[in-house]
Amino acid sequence: MKKQSVTLELSSGKKLVGSLLGAPVKSSGELVFTTAMVGYTEALSDPSYFGQILVFAYPLIGNYGLPSPPKNRDLLERQFESQAVHASGVIISQACYDVFHWTSGTTLDTWLKSKGVPGIVGLDTRYLVTQIRDHGGLFAKILPSDAVGERSLGDFNTVTHEDFFDPNQHPVVTEVSTKERKVYGKGKYKIAVYDFGVKWNILRSLLDKGFEIEVLPWQTDPSDVDCSAWILSNGPGNPNQTFDTKDRIRKLMEQNKPILGICLGHQLLSLAAGAKVVHMSYGHRSHNQPVFVVGKKKAYITSQNHSFKIEEGSLPEDWNVWFRNVNDNSIEGIQHQSLPFKSIQFHPESSGGPRDTAWIFDEFLDGVKKHGNE
Amino acid sequence: MATNKGIARNRKLLLLGSGGLSIGQAGEFDYSGTQAIKAIVEEGFEVLLVNPNIATVQTNPIPGVKVFLYPLTSLWVEKVIDQERPEFIVGSFGGQTALNCLIELEDQGILARYRVKNLGTSVNTLKMTEDRQKFAEQMLLLDIPIPPSVACSTTQEACLAATKISYPVIVRCAYALGGLGSGFADNEKELIDLVNQGLSCSPQVLVEKSLKGWKEVEYEVMRDRDDNSITICNMENFDPLGVHTGDSIVVTPSQSLTDDEYQKLRNASLKIVQELKIIGECNAQYALCPETSEYYIIEVNARLSRSSALASKASGYPIAYIAAKVILGSSLVALKNPVTGITSAFYEPALDYVTVKIPRWDLNKFKSVSKSLGSTMKSVGEVMGIGRNFPEALQKAVRMVNEDSTGLGKSLDFFDKDKETLEETLENPTDNRLFYILQALRLGYSVEFINKVSSVDKWFLSQLERIVVNENQIKDFSRKASVQKDIFSFLSSIPQDDLKSWKKVGFSDNQIINLLLEGRSDDFLKNQSRFELEKALRQTRKSRAITPVVKKIDTTSSEYPSPSNYLYLTYDGDFHDHLERDNKRSILILGGGAYRIGASVEFDWCAVACSEQIQASGFKSIIINCNPETVSTDYNSSSSLFFEELTVERILDIAEFEGTKEVVVSMGGQLPNKLAGSLHSYDFNLLGHSFSTIDMAEDRNKFSSLLDKIKIDQPRWAKISSPEALNHFIEEVGFPVLLRPSYVLSGAAMKVAYNKESLDRYLDFVTDLSKDYPVVVSQFISGARELDLDGIAKDGEVVFTIVSEHVENAGIHSGDATTVVPAQRLYVETVRKIKRAARQIARGLKLNGPFNIQFLAKDNQIKVIECNARAARSFPFVSKVCRINLAKASAEVFLGRLPLSLRHTEDELQYVGVKAAMFSFSRLKGADPVVGVEMASTGEVGCIAESFEGAMLLAMEASRVKLPEKGILISAGDEKSKIKFLDIIDDILAFHVPIYATKGTSLFLEERGVKTISLPWPGEGNGNVIDYIKNGGIDFVINIPKSSDLKELTRGSQIRKTSVEFGCSLITNVEKAVACIKSFSQKGPFRLNHKIKNLPGFLDNHHGNFYES
Repeated sequence: MKKQSVTLELSSGKKLVGSLLGAPVKSSGELVFTTAMVGYTEALSDPSYFGQILVFAYPLIGNYGLPSPPKNRDLLERQFESQAVHASGVIISQACYDVFHWTSGTTLDTWLKSKGVPGIVGLDTRYLVTQIRDHGGLFAKILPSDAVGERSLGDFNTVTHEDFFDPNQHPVVTEVSTKERKVYGKGKYKIAVYDFGVKWNILRSLLDKGFEIEVLPWQTDPSDVDCSAWILSNGPGNPNQTFDTKDRIRKLMEQNKPILGICLGHQLLSLAAGAKVVHMSYGHRSHNQPVFVVGKKKAYITSQNHSFKIEEGSLPEDWNVWFRNVNDNSIEGIQHQSLPFKSIQFHPESSGGPRDTAWIFDEFLDGVKKHGNE
Repeated sequence: MATNKGIARNRKLLLLGSGGLSIGQAGEFDYSGTQAIKAIVEEGFEVLLVNPNIATVQTNPIPGVKVFLYPLTSLWVEKVIDQERPEFIVGSFGGQTALNCLIELEDQGILARYRVKNLGTSVNTLKMTEDRQKFAEQMLLLDIPIPPSVACSTTQEACLAATKISYPVIVRCAYALGGLGSGFADNEKELIDLVNQGLSCSPQVLVEKSLKGWKEVEYEVMRDRDDNSITICNMENFDPLGVHTGDSIVVTPSQSLTDDEYQKLRNASLKIVQELKIIGECNAQYALCPETSEYYIIEVNARLSRSSALASKASGYPIAYIAAKVILGSSLVALKNPVTGITSAFYEPALDYVTVKIPRWDLNKFKSVSKSLGSTMKSVGEVMGIGRNFPEALQKAVRMVNEDSTGLGKSLDFFDKDKETLEETLENPTDNRLFYILQALRLGYSVEFINKVSSVDKWFLSQLERIVVNENQIKDFSRKASVQKDIFSFLSSIPQDDLKSWKKVGFSDNQIINLLLEGRSDDFLKNQSRFELEKALRQTRKSRAITPVVKKIDTTSSEYPSPSNYLYLTYDGDFHDHLERDNKRSILILGGGAYRIGASVEFDWCAVACSEQIQASGFKSIIINCNPETVSTDYNSSSSLFFEELTVERILDIAEFEGTKEVVVSMGGQLPNKLAGSLHSYDFNLLGHSFSTIDMAEDRNKFSSLLDKIKIDQPRWAKISSPEALNHFIEEVGFPVLLRPSYVLSGAAMKVAYNKESLDRYLDFVTDLSKDYPVVVSQFISGARELDLDGIAKDGEVVFTIVSEHVENAGIHSGDATTVVPAQRLYVETVRKIKRAARQIARGLKLNGPFNIQFLAKDNQIKVIECNARAARSFPFVSKVCRINLAKASAEVFLGRLPLSLRHTEDELQYVGVKAAMFSFSRLKGADPVVGVEMASTGEVGCIAESFEGAMLLAMEASRVKLPEKGILISAGDEKSKIKFLDIIDDILAFHVPIYATKGTSLFLEERGVKTISLPWPGEGNGNVIDYIKNGGIDFVINIPKSSDLKELTRGSQIRKTSVEFGCSLITNVEKAVACIKSFSQKGPFRLNHKIKNLPGFLDNHHGNFYES
């Protein structure tokens, strides 16, 4: 079984050669790594990876296959975080070309092919992690020896893969956000979810608790929405490249309803609050990021996927730092001193990754009920 | 007492160790105890360690630590508490033994009486996790699913429960190490047998739903006082549920679990530790259904365990060290992981490699033992292979666990089973199942089929299939390749990608050569020497840049830069990790590999001490070892650790990477010592003894002619290749003779033939005595004393010797014998002769390093049995008793220096040290628990006291020989040994328990005025000796086999097996019985008057500097 050879060209000038996985198309993007050992289906279907080439540090990926892909987005199938594969490409050391697990209906290779996403197997992924780390960020191209097309970037298709595509230079949220408003579930309280590339498990987490949700396109005017609370979702790219989203969030803050920002949503809320959000050298992407509650002795392991953080000291005085990273002390969550506004950099909805901070949803939803009764 | 400034006044902490090594509780607790001690001392406490395991690193009397070599029973620990008055006690680093002892101390009110505070998980919680009924109730409360089960205290209850749950069921025993007394029952008969046995050692058994075929998954969890909790890593068993996890092949991290399954079990683990308020480390075991993802919790161990030692080495997270800090009150969030130096201890390691643990079974050492694996653990050790893919890690582990194996690539020649037998072999796990699965794949059986019969996950099987595919590729290449002008051109014609792929899936050069040879029908390859072939392949690979890369284990998958020095090699990678270099002289130290019968924690002690001394001398020590249960594989035992195979190929790789050829082979036991020849031929510089010294000591002929030359007597011996020659030899020297095959044959080990009958039995067994399969026969001298001389020589001159004496007469393997230092019963003249002989041998062999010589002494005459030109098993024992660290002194010799402060002699000792063997027969169903010329013990203990009797008593109790309380049985063997009992009969009477005896013994004693209760032999009617043992009327059994009589061997064997099964103290050697009974008879006054004494420190200045004493 000889596979087509593929070159990974790094922005540092290095070139590595492996074999093809998935679709034989050219691609490029920001090279990022995750150290998670499970949850590749969840990661690759996570819209936050749009424009990025994901390196899995763990060498054996695809062992338990993945369920047959979801047919209907509204079903919010488990294991998937959206209907698509958003990453620009995948780099792994060893793949699995058979289906063994009882929940599994297809292989990583087949799935990537069907989604038009290229990947490379057989590379020294630990070396790539070290390179990304030491360069403080890298870009890369995936160049199959017999490429038959290019990885689609949707609205950004004007960008050719001749250059390294940098998602942080473009308003990529527009590409992954829903095109129309959608309502799920039925309940006394409706939560409005700004979709900047929302992971399905955020929606599932709310639905499972019996709340009604409305998913909104990124540019929705908040005054057009009737809801009890707001969620600002996760999403890809640079929070400073989101047009006037900051202003819309300021507008919805005036309603004084509970707000929960997650990941990109956290960064956008911070921007709206007046803080500065800056690029990190290589971000946090793993299932083992430790965060602690500021002022308390309690800490949690979280699932994370981000390249930006709040600049130290830029947070206005009426906001408090809620969480910090145990390893590098970076800000991982904020809350308003008097108003019900909170946000976290990590993913309480996990999927994949640890579920230790799922209580944040409970706390938020309790707050929504309380707020609604006042 | 140490007066470190760091030690706060009265901040004393008593730490319970795990005692002698036994199956289910082995070297892993030296690792956990040693790490704990480091952490506790750092926190400013003085550690009072109670542990009679003298061969361990943790029982080194270092500053800040007082070592008490006492039995881990409440009686002795109370005495230590009474004398030392510690504030705190910690019981979670010494396995089940420590936990049981802690519970005893609490239950007897001792902790309360002396106001000793138990740190860590509360005794109530510990008891709850041990009591299966209470545990089940607690889990139900927490909404954690448990398999349907019922706790039973009678057989009737058990039968009823099993009917309700429906067969097959599993029976488990509460309060037991390694699943003792557990098993599967398919019907009522099997159930009753199991339950009877279980209830004999535990007040309660559990009858549970059998989950055969489910996946078994474990999580290692840590929680601090602030409720911060993490899982260190998870582990997936290759063998589905049903095989004890200690006997399973275990893979880290899990390979076949989805994120959802992984997180579900992780969540359950965190919930358990949080709700049970566990402080420190905890292990949780789950059953996971491969068809529905349903799960059950199986077991929770609220303490450090074998699994946590494995997890520690697999993940790079020093679990025991951090657990100790947490128990003392540190917050996980505030602690750093000392392995990485950068990440918090509140961090779950991300692995970017896979580890495979394979158990080491030594079942061939035990006659008639059952080889099937189940819920009772049987393995004596383990290894861990690390790779960037599963086949690579697995094949490494296969080579690590058995150094004669080259990997999975060679077909088993004993495999010729029909389909039915094959299916049975695949379905019913044994120590060889992995090899049968491989063979089934070779024979074309599908992954689906093997999965159906074995329930081994298809992913694992598909990975094994890759090995077979590559194997065929190698053979195909060889078959089709045209004959080249030389071996180099032949090897050069292997396609680059193929050779790379073979190495990637873990084939060793050796194994590739085997397969190339197998694939060829002509003599092209066979004409080459093995050494030349391997050398040529290595050269070919290197010239084509197919070499392994060095990677770090850093817990972060390289997310952060780390100074970690914990390394492994892989072919599944293209770049070395960045390592800091300096110009220090680097020395490789080879460890001892898997713990096994005959080589265990004592060699780890040697390797660690040697490494410390090399570091203290300002050089770089590089340890190579592959055993996760060791201290030598800890992150801070060396300058740099390669967790790697102890094979010539791998040692060469490491030597080339590190740019050194200096290697120590004599501190890890026989395994590294055996590599001396090959390393020598690859131009390594063996530190210490030269290769010709080692070779002369190992080669019987060469050693023998040396002894002849220097006129030192030895038992007569000959290498025999025909029955006629054997008879001729025996005619000359007479019976008894010692026989040993000079080739490996499973089951046929060393034997003593006492007469024609037993010789014939042996010859029946060794069917093909011939030139190809010769036997070494030697004169067996009965009634002789056996003596061990441990020493150090420099350039052929002895610089230090110490003599220890066996309590048992010659004929008991020195590893199983009870030994005493200083010798108690020797003539001054005999000692003089021994020392003189040692000096002559040292000169003759040009010994230059540690050595050990075994002698026989009879009638003031001595004979040499053998000489080992390496550190011996007895090194830690004699070092600690004499207060001279012989391993460190040896390291001085390796560095070319003369250790100076060795002028101490045994005459000056203020006390006596006794070392006794620990046996694990209770786990080895079917094995005859008798000692002889083949070693059978799994561990040892060593105790000191002012008199021999005192030290003997402590050593006996520490090795779990208990004072008779219900009844004693004497079956005294032949006439000679019967007479010896007359000496101790008054002592036996003084126990005031019924004395039972088998017929002959009873008659013999009665004739001499001693009344005993005569019991019929097994099978001779009701109320026979077996019934008494089973009913609990007898709890102490002395059974001396009459070595010549087959019938009695069998009857005796039944008595011995039953004694072990029902938890009696058992002694099978007459001299040991005499010494033991004599020491026990002093028990009363000894206990009253004995002043607890801690092991005094080494006489060097604790920094290993032998020049400044």
